[in-house]
Amino acid sequence: MLNAANLAQILMSGLLMGLIYALIAAGLSLIFGLMDVVNFAHGEFLMTAMYATFGLVVLLSLDPLILSPIVAAIMFVVGAFCYRAIIVHAMRARTNVGMVQVFATFGLAIVIRGLAQFVFTPDYRSIPKSWLGGQTFSLFGVYMPAPQLAGALASLLAFGALWLLMKKTDFGKALEATREDAGAVGLVGIDRNRVFAMGWGLGAALVGLAGAILSIFYYIHPDVGGPFALIAYVTVALGGFGSVFGALAAGVIVGLVEAISATVLQPSMKAIGIYAVYLIVVFLRPRGLFGHL
Amino acid sequence: MKTKLTRREAGKLVGATLTGALAPGAARAQGKQIVIGGLYPLSGANAQIGVDAKHAYETALDVINNKNDLDLPLAKTEGLPNLGGAKLAMTFADHQSDPQKGRAEAERLITQDKVVALIGTYQSAVANTASVASERYSIPFLGADTSSPSLHRRGLKFFFRAAPHDEMFTQTMFDFFDEMKKKGKSIQSVALFYEDTIFGADSSAVQRKLAAAHGVKVVADIKYRSNSPSLTAEVQQLKAANAQVLMPSSYTTDAILLMKTMAELGYKPSAILAQDAGFSEQTLFNAIGAAGEGVMTRSTFSLDLGQKKPSVAKVNELFKARSGKDLNDLTARQFTAAMVMADAINRSKTGEPLAIREALATTDLPGEQTIMPWRRVKFDESGQNNDCTPVLLQRRGDKYVTVFPAEYAVADVAWG
Repeated sequence: MLNAANLAQILMSGLLMGLIYALIAAGLSLIFGLMDVVNFAHGEFLMTAMYATFGLVVLLSLDPLILSPIVAAIMFVVGAFCYRAIIVHAMRARTNVGMVQVFATFGLAIVIRGLAQFVFTPDYRSIPKSWLGGQTFSLFGVYMPAPQLAGALASLLAFGALWLLMKKTDFGKALEATREDAGAVGLVGIDRNRVFAMGWGLGAALVGLAGAILSIFYYIHPDVGGPFALIAYVTVALGGFGSVFGALAAGVIVGLVEAISATVLQPSMKAIGIYAVYLIVVFLRPRGLFGHL
Repeated sequence: MKTKLTRREAGKLVGATLTGALAPGAARAQGKQIVIGGLYPLSGANAQIGVDAKHAYETALDVINNKNDLDLPLAKTEGLPNLGGAKLAMTFADHQSDPQKGRAEAERLITQDKVVALIGTYQSAVANTASVASERYSIPFLGADTSSPSLHRRGLKFFFRAAPHDEMFTQTMFDFFDEMKKKGKSIQSVALFYEDTIFGADSSAVQRKLAAAHGVKVVADIKYRSNSPSLTAEVQQLKAANAQVLMPSSYTTDAILLMKTMAELGYKPSAILAQDAGFSEQTLFNAIGAAGEGVMTRSTFSLDLGQKKPSVAKVNELFKARSGKDLNDLTARQFTAAMVMADAINRSKTGEPLAIREALATTDLPGEQTIMPWRRVKFDESGQNNDCTPVLLQRRGDKYVTVFPAEYAVADVAWG
């Protein structure tokens, strides 16, 4: 049952979700590009941001949209703290430093999730009323849910801001330089630990923004991060390790492939569609679409 | 000084220990207390289910062990009269929703805690392994809240289930469709929407079979990945198929996402008739607000039965005092299982597992003496009770009301 109206709707839905996937993956890609660390607690950062949004909504009775910068700021602190408290120590390992980092972030994920189960209980929460919740725009019969539209716009704005930050500010240049050669930057007076901590903070802030908007239309639960994190990993790999803007393109591709394969194949097989595309990319271009490593 | 045991002495010691462990019943009824085991998820993602279940069983023990003015078995007396007023107690074990842990915990309860019977387990997959263990030790197993039809078809002698299984639930849905047809509202098309684990697979298989038998066309048959980040494409297919009735088999997370996505994409079928699970949870309706109005689900229980049975309201009060919640489909089944088990233990006169098994097999409890809308509790040869009619509930405002079958309905069904 694939007519023009259906196809338009599928592409629109895929595009909106894809931009949200890209926003979730942006922080992961940033951290990886900066210091070659895959943060396995990325989904738990997302979950933390969603609970933070929920808590602030209950506490301040403000809309999640207004709260999203505050949540991003909170997550910046959380991210920088995680770097200073854990990652910096994991990087001191003399052998198998990659594996130590993997298990450090993996352990962090389990701890955050366990704490959330204990503190917030395994009950499903959701934000019942918000400006955008349940609102939908219809354009020529193509539905565009307002929360997803806001998420897509926030994603584009965040990538725009990230581009400005990287290209136009001293911090961006320090970030770029540290990414190029973490050893050499010390010689020109850049404290690489500070840059790394800022990178972790920025990465967590981006996923914080995603979490705030996601909480408008998604349930909140200690295990909520898992499925999104899985998509974020394949998005980063598909876009190319180290390419933040590759993540943007890859997020959109993942969203579209997911929507199309759920229709053409069957819904229970949509993950297969995503990973099949990734495997094809690995075969043709192992570093990912925009990878320059 | 001799510090090591000789082999012969060690043998004697082991022998003595074994004799003690295997000594029949006297120890089990010691202190005038009969202990049964409860197997539930008390940690992990389903921990809340186990916590609520404990409250339900403790409510039942309260009714059994103390004097209560209720029309329920053993309520008016203290303890079990046929066993000299012995008190009934329960020991709980945590199976963590894991079939292997469930089997191990069942064995531990039987061999170490010397329970005379087992009750559980919420998940059918866990009941499957735990009841095999209890069969091996000849200990009766009562499935309180497990609904997989295959459980009572394994030829086990010690397995019993007082509540309906999934085929009975689905049969009631199609009986309801037939009833609607008589009222001039013919249901010609349904959409099946089910998650990709054993629950969804079993549920949809029965629905598909009964749809064919009742001449109802399945216009969409959608198996989806549980816990997906998005159900947009799935809902688009449902919308395109445009069935009269949507029949979802979904746990809480997917149910929330399904209902939200349907609202976002402007899809509203004439009716939603759900296979319980996520749709019996208050959490879902907290999340979706007004979009929940008119949703229907199958159930074994509804609070409004209290209008016809005074004991329902009273038991609910006792339960609410412990848990802060109203009884629901699950906790009502758990409470009832404990009452059925206590009735059998009392009739066994000895409290011995084999005698309890015989007593369970000859159970004949009239429906009036339960809090359920059931004709009676009487097990067939496979251990299944076939006189337990499920009911259909419909969402009105902030609660569910019974709309089918007519003998239990408190309101007419609203049809969109």
